[in-house]
Amino acid sequence: MMNIKEVRNELLNEKYYDIDHPSGLKILVMPKENYSSTYAIFATKYGSIDTMIQMSDGSFKEIPEGTAHFLEHKLFESEDLDAFERFAKTGASANAYTSFERTGYLFSCSANFKKNLEILLDFVQNPYFTQATVEKEQGIIGQEIDMYKDAPDWEVMFNCLRTMYHNLPVRIDIAGTQESIAQITAKTLYGCYDNFYNLHNMVLAVAGNADIDEIIEVADKVLKPVEGKMAQRKVIDEPEEVIDSYIEEKLSVATPQFMFGFKESWDTPERTTKEEISMEILLDMISGQSSELYKRLFDGKLINNSFGFEYFTGFGYSCVLFAGESNDPKKVAEEIVGEIGKFRETGFDEMAFERTKKKLYGRMIMGMNDIEGLANNMAVSYFAGEDVFTDFEIFKTVTLDDVNDIFKKTLDENRSVLSVINPN
Amino acid sequence: MTTQNIADGVRFCSVKTDKFKTCRVNISLAMPLDKSASARAILPFMFSRRCAKYPDFTSLNRVLDGLYGASVSAGILKRGEAQILSFSMTAIDDRFALDGDKVAFECAQLLAEMIFDPLTDGKSFPEDIIEQEKRLLVETIENEQNDKRRYAMLRCEQLMFADEAYGINRLGSVDEVKALTPADVYSAWRDVLEKATVQITMASSMDPQPVAELIKDKFSEIERNPVEIKTQFVSGLPKPEYVCETMPLKQGKLVMGFRTGMRSEDDMMPAMRVAVDIFGGGTYSKLFSVVREKMSLCYYCSAALFNSKGIVMVQSGIEDANEEKAKNEIINQLRLTAEGEFSDEDYSSSIKSLTDTILGNSDTPEEITAWYASQILRGELKTPEAYAEEIRNVNRSEVVGAAKTIMLDTIFMLKSSGEAAE
Repeated sequence: MMNIKEVRNELLNEKYYDIDHPSGLKILVMPKENYSSTYAIFATKYGSIDTMIQMSDGSFKEIPEGTAHFLEHKLFESEDLDAFERFAKTGASANAYTSFERTGYLFSCSANFKKNLEILLDFVQNPYFTQATVEKEQGIIGQEIDMYKDAPDWEVMFNCLRTMYHNLPVRIDIAGTQESIAQITAKTLYGCYDNFYNLHNMVLAVAGNADIDEIIEVADKVLKPVEGKMAQRKVIDEPEEVIDSYIEEKLSVATPQFMFGFKESWDTPERTTKEEISMEILLDMISGQSSELYKRLFDGKLINNSFGFEYFTGFGYSCVLFAGESNDPKKVAEEIVGEIGKFRETGFDEMAFERTKKKLYGRMIMGMNDIEGLANNMAVSYFAGEDVFTDFEIFKTVTLDDVNDIFKKTLDENRSVLSVINPN
Repeated sequence: MTTQNIADGVRFCSVKTDKFKTCRVNISLAMPLDKSASARAILPFMFSRRCAKYPDFTSLNRVLDGLYGASVSAGILKRGEAQILSFSMTAIDDRFALDGDKVAFECAQLLAEMIFDPLTDGKSFPEDIIEQEKRLLVETIENEQNDKRRYAMLRCEQLMFADEAYGINRLGSVDEVKALTPADVYSAWRDVLEKATVQITMASSMDPQPVAELIKDKFSEIERNPVEIKTQFVSGLPKPEYVCETMPLKQGKLVMGFRTGMRSEDDMMPAMRVAVDIFGGGTYSKLFSVVREKMSLCYYCSAALFNSKGIVMVQSGIEDANEEKAKNEIINQLRLTAEGEFSDEDYSSSIKSLTDTILGNSDTPEEITAWYASQILRGELKTPEAYAEEIRNVNRSEVVGAAKTIMLDTIFMLKSSGEAAE
């Protein structure tokens, strides 16, 4: 039985369709009027943090680091025409990515949508790996890993995460290492594929010039119904403390780069939408472009326009990351800690809270133009057990009290890591 | 899309659409790329941080927050031998303002004020602000080398165009920036207002006329005297130059610069676009399918056409040991393209992919405004549909004819010493 639900939001003047396809796949479609192109993403809840497979007896077995990313590269291949060759016939721009928590296969097109969707659903459902093609890919991915080793913004982040987390797999590089990918075989890939690429662990999200009847027609034709369920993630023990408070590396950069992170610990593995929005507001009030701290750092020649912050969170991990370029990263870290201390005493003023909320409201509206962002957000929200419009509704209910509450649980100086890339 | 001239050398282009929830305005000002590049490069960044009405960064940002997080961005682009100062503003459409505010027009006003009514001390820009902006611009230029792919590309351009204006970095040079005085920057500003070729591009549901009038008013106070911007088109070297440098890196970066037979930005177009795409564009291209997929030499290897200068740049990240292998194969694949050794399928894949991408360009306000703003130096603006149609009409022999004129000029190799820190 196919269950189709229309979900509307009056304020945004948008709607999307939530479809439970009989094959077991969740399909989410947001049609956008007068758009000439369509963006589609077929994603699995399988990312670099999934370093273990759950066996039939419930136990977990380790797989090499970087396997999710490796699999992403290899899925484009098949026995005859590979996926890129098939998309070349239609003119679509096809791509894929692997993040900490998911792998997504996507295309955007302004013609031949049905054909493109058929190719996407088909190639992701039909793996083809041989030992020879796996070995060839080790060369390409080896170069990709080396490329990132030269990228200071990438290194500064992973050094920070590696120094913050003892055990959580968010500390490992998404592509793995030269050593770990050397252990990957065709058999490893098939094992991971069977575990994570069942339709119950996946979602198809489409936004733009889209017609749901067309999508259902293609889905009926190509999707193979399967028994299965969402893969379970293992909760991994992680001490509350960081490994060290400082880490440094030398690369060829002009100005030192830094990332200053604050580890959090919670009783539940995932943060709620309300907690995430409260954190966004909190961090913007402390260090956003309208803050006193930003002005002081800027005027004091301690930062430049690359300075920013992020609430970085996923299954089992959450932390606050401040990042930028500075000739004196330690001084920047001191100033940030000082400002947090000041707000612990004075609290936040209602006006700043309202102003920040107004800004974030505007930014959410602005986010509704971009079909790529919308389709990805629908996929992410689904995996988190939420939907794209509830974000907006929850946002409206957040109060200064919520922000003050969460402030008590985060930004602890004793669990911070300063990661620096110095010029060599 | 409609256009109107609102002052001498000032074109206003409007795309009226209600499919977006925002209003976007871009103001682009083009000047010849020359020794004043550094002084002009200060302007957009400085102006986007303050103006006479909101004299400091914090007060300006608080106003933008109150305008529903409206964003203002500034940048410098190089197009042929033109330096383009670019200012953009995005605000929510008035339909979504909670209190019935006229947000979009107020933001457009603010954007205009940043350019026409900056913070001055009466005669010039305040010294402390110029010092701050100089520091930031120096850091921006220096930090361009952090991205090695980008750095290798800039180095190759410097070498290849050492005797042409195109060799000037769009942001100027560190030494020139350090030597700037407030008076230099002030006179660069007056110069731009008087002499630049200007285009305002707007994508919004609202009536564009009030915005056009607003900017027309601002220009009416300026004596306009636009200067001509010309780009030199040069043939390839008979014997290509090779330069190699070493840095402590994990991966080497290869950049190969080619000249084409183009004598203007429209010459041999769009056949040249298709030729370069078959050579090193999409996944069906020769560089991707052979150098990456078949030979497994790299993660990326691609060719890009800069028609505003008539050049093609090939970039790849490789192990040092594979340099000769990669170079030879890239040259070999170009030769094959020029000999027409590509299948009808590759040819039609390229046409389909290029047209598909071009037609997709109208689905974000950023892409629409960028599409038209990039045509600032053209007499007439081309729609994505018209350009896609031209691409569809390119035939095989035109592609081969264009590819035959591509000649290697300069090779730059950034070698890894193999000593990068672990």
